[in-house]
Amino acid sequence: MKRIIPASKPTLSIDFAGIKLKNPVLTASGTFGYGEEFAEFIDLSRLGGVIVKGISLKPIKGNPPPRIWETPSGMLNAIGLENPGVDVFLSEKLPYLRKCDTAVIVNMFGYSLEEYVGVAERLDGAPGISGIEVNISCPNVKAGGMAFGTDLTATFDLLSAVRKATRLPLIAKLSPNVTDVTDFAKAARDAGCDGLSLINTLLGMAIDVRCRRPRLANCTGGLSGPAIRPVAVRMVWQVARAVPLPIIGMGGIVTGEDAMEFILAGASAVAVGTANFINPRATLEVLSGIERVMAEQGVGDIKSLIGKVSVG
Amino acid sequence: MPSSRFHKATILAHESAGRGYYRLVLRAPEAAATALPGQFVMLRVSENMDPLLARPFGISSVPSRSSIEIVYRVVGRGTALLTGMGIGRALNLLGPLGRGFPVPDKDTMPALVSGGSGFPPLHFLSQRAGSRAHLFVGAKNKECLPPAGIIKSFKEVTAKVHIATEDGSVGVRGMTTDLLNAFLTRMEQKTHLVIYACGPHAMLAAVGRIAAEHSITCYVSIEERMACGLGACMGCSVPMRAGGYKRACKDGPVFDSREIDWSEQVVLPIPHVKKKL
Repeated sequence: MKRIIPASKPTLSIDFAGIKLKNPVLTASGTFGYGEEFAEFIDLSRLGGVIVKGISLKPIKGNPPPRIWETPSGMLNAIGLENPGVDVFLSEKLPYLRKCDTAVIVNMFGYSLEEYVGVAERLDGAPGISGIEVNISCPNVKAGGMAFGTDLTATFDLLSAVRKATRLPLIAKLSPNVTDVTDFAKAARDAGCDGLSLINTLLGMAIDVRCRRPRLANCTGGLSGPAIRPVAVRMVWQVARAVPLPIIGMGGIVTGEDAMEFILAGASAVAVGTANFINPRATLEVLSGIERVMAEQGVGDIKSLIGKVSVG
Repeated sequence: MPSSRFHKATILAHESAGRGYYRLVLRAPEAAATALPGQFVMLRVSENMDPLLARPFGISSVPSRSSIEIVYRVVGRGTALLTGMGIGRALNLLGPLGRGFPVPDKDTMPALVSGGSGFPPLHFLSQRAGSRAHLFVGAKNKECLPPAGIIKSFKEVTAKVHIATEDGSVGVRGMTTDLLNAFLTRMEQKTHLVIYACGPHAMLAAVGRIAAEHSITCYVSIEERMACGLGACMGCSVPMRAGGYKRACKDGPVFDSREIDWSEQVVLPIPHVKKKL
């Protein structure tokens, strides 16, 4: 009689730009705070990693309300990069995350090159930080973010300066609000980045027709959620073919299937963002969805699927 | 490990409550066991990605050990979809959430002030601590008041219900805030009074001013658009006098009225609508 041999558990672990991830699912910056709000819903140590809400040198209050507006299969946000500043992050937020057995990637930004470097220096050497994600592309601030992330020279200069300031794995988070994202991917590679993450939110707007005013106090905001996924998948595919750096793919991931699109397009890891708002367990559901697709297709190691979409 | 604050809640009852409102009873044992007046739940009205976000609803009462009651009216796509969901259907529910009203002690005389569709959290509060409470509720006209069944329910548990309508069709002709102010002015001893208010921002700001004039503590429940309801997205921010913002979902929705910077909460006039004289 033939013995039924159960399939062994698929291999999900991955080395991303020098960061050991137990699986390819991370949380997207700005959607998971610093982890504590979600601890009652999921065991954070089951995540591949947490990319925290962006940190700046000094605390930032954020924008006046209204800061959010729902759109078809998505939402606009103009939070305004509210955060307690790097010192409070290090003393009050990081200790909690260090206790969770998951990679901690710190998203950071500044309003000037000096501020970016200042934050990088503070983070460099702080125990428990696995890597830095540089936000060059936030579309909500009136100065800073947007200006860097849509200008190739500014992007290169910024990332080169941050590269000099830290030995931590450095990931550049790219803006989709540019003509050719591959140009910015190349600038990040040339500046010495170890990895890339994309996409950040798409610049959008909504108007209250009765009051004849924008729905957001900031007028424009960042669009996220399932509506942006096709743009994100396309950009990951384009960047993966242009630059050999590993990619964290994100943009409207809700299920394991969605995550697989990004991996096949060329991402080595994925980040789940807006989905956390509608389901605090979304990250783990994406993870088990990835495992299910792998089992269905008889795939033993997630790495074997990276960039494996067949074209032509 | 998985929290019982996020689960599928079955609809046990769902009917029209009158005056445009609907009464929805959901099976939610954790919320029923732990919910405090002033807390809310987030309900998703679609299994699909559109509408995307859950909607916040103040808890109106706890009818049994395993169920909670919501009373709502249609204000947009989400609530319109909700009206079509029948008994037996299950919705994703997150809650109970937020900081509720500080519990009035037995010596406090609560003054509950309700405007618009703000009555549910006050209804819950009155059921738990209402015997000495006076309710002040007002609207443009009779049809804009809370449902008759809710007003009856308030009358059963509170000391007195004061109603004001701008057209005089029910109760005193005028604004709720005028009623409140007149009541407070008539009272000699006010040290045991605490105001609990829920309604449109402009009303809360006015109640806050009245409370300050009479040196009375005032708690307000603030409504703000929400995405996550958990305190992670920073979308539901309320401006603070001390500077910066707090989250309505996690640091609120109940705040001491003195904390809030009402100037940022001002309702802007609609440009093409001429102000009524």
